Amino acid sequence: MLTLEDLFVVVLVWGIVIICAWFLSKYLFFVFMGARNRLDRLFLPIENLIYWLGGVDSSRKMGWKEYFKALFYLNAAQAIIAFFILMFQQSLPLNPMHYPGMSWSLALNTVLSFSSNTNLQHYNGETTLSYLSQMSAIQFLQFTSAATGLAAGVAVIRGFAGKAKTIGNFYYDYVRSLTRVLLPLAFIAAIVLIALGVPQSIGGYSSVPTLQRGAYEILYNGPIASLVSIMQLGTNGGGYFGANSAYPLQNPTQLSNLFEIGLMMFIPTAILFLFGRTVGDNREGRTLFLSAYAIYGIDLVIAFLSTTNIAQGIEVRFGGVTSAFWTVTTTAFTTGSLNASLGAFNPIVILTAFFGMLIQGAPGGIGIGAMYLIMYVIVTIFLVGLMAGRTPEYLGIKIEGRDVKLAIAAFLTHPIIILIPTVLAFAIGAEKAVGVTSNSTGFTTIFYEFTSAAANNGSDFLGAAGNTVFFNVATGIVMWLGRYLPILFLLAIADSVAVRKRSPSQGLKTGNISFVVILVVSIFILTVLTFFPFLVLGPVLQFLQGFNTSVGGVIFGF
Amino acid sequence: MGSNTSDTEENRLNWPSIILDSIKRLNPWLLKDNLVMFVTELTFFIVFIMAVDPTLIPKVSSASENGFYAIVALILIITVWFSTLSDSIAEAQIRNTASSLRKMKEQMTAKRLKSSNRNNFEVVPSDQLRRGDLVLIDHGEKVPIDSEVIEGIAMVDESLLTGESANVRKSVGTTLLGGSVVTTDSLVARVSSNPDETYVSKLINLVESSSRPKTPNEIALSVLIAGFTAIFSIIIIALLFLGITLDLGIDLAVLIALYVCLLPTTIGALLPAIGISGINRMSVKRIIAKSGKAIEASGDTDALLLDKTGTITKGMRKAVRFIPSGKHTEREVGEAALLSSWDDDTPEGKSIVELSYNLGFIPHSFSTLDRSEFEEFSAATRRSSIKMSDTREFLLPKGGRGILQRKRLRRKFEPGLQQPDLEIVKGAPDAIIEYVKNKPPDFDSILTKISEDGATIMGVAEAGDVLGFIKLKDEVKPGVKEKIRALRDMDIEVVMVTGDQPQTAGIISKDVGIDDFIAKARPETKYELVKEEQKAGKIVSMIGDGTNDAPALSVADVGLAMASGTEPAKEAANMVDLESNPSKIIDVVMLGKQILMTRGTVTTFSIANDIAKYFVIVPIMFGALPELGALNLMHLSPHVAVLSALVYNAIIIPALIPLALRGTVFKPSSTMKIFLKNVMIYGLGGIILPFIAIKFFAILITVLGGVA
Repeated sequence: MLTLEDLFVVVLVWGIVIICAWFLSKYLFFVFMGARNRLDRLFLPIENLIYWLGGVDSSRKMGWKEYFKALFYLNAAQAIIAFFILMFQQSLPLNPMHYPGMSWSLALNTVLSFSSNTNLQHYNGETTLSYLSQMSAIQFLQFTSAATGLAAGVAVIRGFAGKAKTIGNFYYDYVRSLTRVLLPLAFIAAIVLIALGVPQSIGGYSSVPTLQRGAYEILYNGPIASLVSIMQLGTNGGGYFGANSAYPLQNPTQLSNLFEIGLMMFIPTAILFLFGRTVGDNREGRTLFLSAYAIYGIDLVIAFLSTTNIAQGIEVRFGGVTSAFWTVTTTAFTTGSLNASLGAFNPIVILTAFFGMLIQGAPGGIGIGAMYLIMYVIVTIFLVGLMAGRTPEYLGIKIEGRDVKLAIAAFLTHPIIILIPTVLAFAIGAEKAVGVTSNSTGFTTIFYEFTSAAANNGSDFLGAAGNTVFFNVATGIVMWLGRYLPILFLLAIADSVAVRKRSPSQGLKTGNISFVVILVVSIFILTVLTFFPFLVLGPVLQFLQGFNTSVGGVIFGF
Repeated sequence: MGSNTSDTEENRLNWPSIILDSIKRLNPWLLKDNLVMFVTELTFFIVFIMAVDPTLIPKVSSASENGFYAIVALILIITVWFSTLSDSIAEAQIRNTASSLRKMKEQMTAKRLKSSNRNNFEVVPSDQLRRGDLVLIDHGEKVPIDSEVIEGIAMVDESLLTGESANVRKSVGTTLLGGSVVTTDSLVARVSSNPDETYVSKLINLVESSSRPKTPNEIALSVLIAGFTAIFSIIIIALLFLGITLDLGIDLAVLIALYVCLLPTTIGALLPAIGISGINRMSVKRIIAKSGKAIEASGDTDALLLDKTGTITKGMRKAVRFIPSGKHTEREVGEAALLSSWDDDTPEGKSIVELSYNLGFIPHSFSTLDRSEFEEFSAATRRSSIKMSDTREFLLPKGGRGILQRKRLRRKFEPGLQQPDLEIVKGAPDAIIEYVKNKPPDFDSILTKISEDGATIMGVAEAGDVLGFIKLKDEVKPGVKEKIRALRDMDIEVVMVTGDQPQTAGIISKDVGIDDFIAKARPETKYELVKEEQKAGKIVSMIGDGTNDAPALSVADVGLAMASGTEPAKEAANMVDLESNPSKIIDVVMLGKQILMTRGTVTTFSIANDIAKYFVIVPIMFGALPELGALNLMHLSPHVAVLSALVYNAIIIPALIPLALRGTVFKPSSTMKIFLKNVMIYGLGGIILPFIAIKFFAILITVLGGVA
């Protein structure tokens, strides 16, 4: 049951996160938008050393192509390093459990997954990965992918703000993301997690006796707190354990549960405020924030109502409401970590999870969410803005054919990379290999797998069962296309609008509450128009087929 | 904004030829530029094949459904036909308009000299003039074409071209602007450029030409439509494969029906017609736009530069009052003013005479003023004067009052005076002071008082004595005030440009509700202003006619030139007003907005419609999934659902043709208000209407089916 206490907890988490994010956005503004501050004395020498070591010039303005190339090549190089660590972990140190290397397809899937901030896991971490793999390959990519997302988001924001007349320099954004944002914050978060009871150790697994005489259980001890902190903070979502944050060692208490929820909301929310600050009008940031949180809130309410009435989806340690809260949040922020099993949820909760992932901007992953919201604003403004009797404009920038083309391309990426592999999986019978039947539940499973991969979310039904060559390779490709194509398109738009003339008078006021309503409705409509038949074949059909047996169905009865 | 009523007679459409044309346009090759309609026609061929022989497309068709497929195919091709029909109507309208433009094209005549003798001329249409021809322009005639004066001196009214209300003195060697009016004397001039008539004809041809480059918004909109087409194509193909592999019991015709319903057919069908009809509506207002881009830019106008003279005011200063100075009476001033203006052919002079007449300030026997000597206004002295040397003729008044009587009496007592008996001078107040050399004590106070409301003041003096003043005011054109208020409501910045003094300009602009004005404007002011506004990111619209305006017209986003204006101005501008009414720039802005708005409303409506169509077709689409019946909000049986959705999808096109051709109706108010209102009507309405309409068609189809 959704009680007042539960509601209070949700409101409390939201309130604290939003307030902290507001202050973080101030800090981010100083970090990225060129203002000098006192921290420079501490960080500048370190950063300059990094630039010097990397042989890069962090002050040169980059065009979108150059920015993207730097971003992409760096990510690819990091993925290649991680790939070899994963494949050859048996010959590398810090492997007290002597786990063998991953198969090529699993290693490929894993590095594509972690480098794209997806963290889809076709393995169980605690029984597959050595400490070195967890700390270097996995955690390393969790930091770099989050920094990449943050950099891309900041670049797009900078371009739209137009004050700098450029999207900036990738190395500058990337290095600062790490040194000034992610590393310090993750460090603090890890300390808090340790205080809340999450282990941090490289002492190897120990076998402990259970209450049952003679029975032993392995205690999967490891460097968990440090991984969980960046996994949540960087909206990565790939846990230390296969069961992710449903596993007590990764998420021991109700308090740690709420703290982890708050962590994943923290930076994406702050970036929405950063947008307003950078543009120089907090109302513009407010529009993105309110729209994203409205969609997120609507999803939450739907999930809560369905969880309330059907005794499903309850992770007993946390209860139905907090489980649903986590699931909706993890998909809305495209994190992908879980604290309960997806399979146990009411299909309606899964439907809200789909919405979070299909929209990607509600509020979306670190850096990327803001980018998607801007894309939605462009499409929406062009779709309805002509009705104002003016060429549609955003922030005084006239939306041109090329912008629409690129925004539509970014929008089209999703249906293409989700639907084609989904259809392909069923056409070649790949679903049978992972034990999925071709009914509505099976369709949901496969559709969710590719949606999650495309949205760089990482939560899935399959888990380790998805470790087949087809799913490893297919989701791997989908994850990278879903990650880099939209970044490419949005950087291209941002770069061209950075130098474009801006009209001082705004016909269509986007800083307005009425625009928030229009944007929210438009995002829902665009998403529904694109995926309606598939959502119908998946969670909706599942729900309808269970219609007679579920009492709560009455609420959603059509 | 309502439709222009005057277009009804000229646009009597030839329906049989329109319908024939629309059927010809069904040729797939001709449809290739309209992606949505091309795809729709493609689906027609597929369903047509299914209707002929379902076995040709196995798995996703059933043999017993021939009749259903035939009906679906029929509705599909009708959908395409509705689209081509809207194009044909729009094209026919614009052809009508173009031909009526040709008819109306002003047949100005000119007196072409056959020899250097002024009396040896022939009257020819002005478009037959060629460079080097000599033309005679008499008093009161319009200068047919840009030319150079080679003989004579005359005052020329260029107010419509340059905005200067004062007449300009033209002597040998000066340039005459086509469209200006010779107000005194006559001139012989050499034509300096070939006639513009061919240019305007070229423009009219442009209106009619079928190869119109797409405007930026049309391009962006086409991209959006193509994007949606791509999305729905992916969806349908994915559904087709899923349907086959998962055995969901789908029928290709139903899937195609869903596809066509989802495609933005409404906007796809009407987009070309909206653009054409926009140009047509401009042309009906006698404005020829050189490109659709300019029309669009006019809708985006942020700042509008209006000339005071000709646009806001009528461009003619009219005398409104006589104000006496010192011990003189109003009558004295009036009579003196009349005498001084009798030979003055400038509009001001005429209006002074008119005012005197109206007030009854008529000196007796002034008809003999022929014997007087009139000295025209000159820029050097800034005054004009009249000298009457023979005053015998004035000795007439019976009970005559005022100046003439006193003059007569004075004459009587001072016989044999050699100096001119009567010299009345009128002109700029300071010029008058210069003439009389002594300033009456109340001169400044009266002057300040009466010039407070922006009027122009002329002084009248007689024999070294200031009699008083004539107050002249330029009249605000009727309706301009309302139009300016409408512009301001739509957040458009209006700037008035005038050569007047700041004080005068301020008063006029306040009077008509303009927030900003540039006074003491020089010819290059407009250019600088346009540049400055554009630097601030604004879209600037302006009008112009003089050659002076050409640079500004060419940099402005929207430049409307007057047909009566000079050639360079017309070439620099991107629109030409054949009626040469500068106030029409305001209508141009409204029309531009309306075209953009119409595209927007139809697009939004088209996409908003899709929601209902999904809910109608998806629940019945998977034969193997009866559970989805719960989503069947309107309880329609499969065939009825498909047909009613398709019928709605087709019918909505002709239903919206009037909207597309006439444009979305809107009341001028703030952009955001207009926007939100349209969102409610076309967005929310677009979501709700199809639910109701499809249910209606479903009932209709069920009833008809029952009857059949």
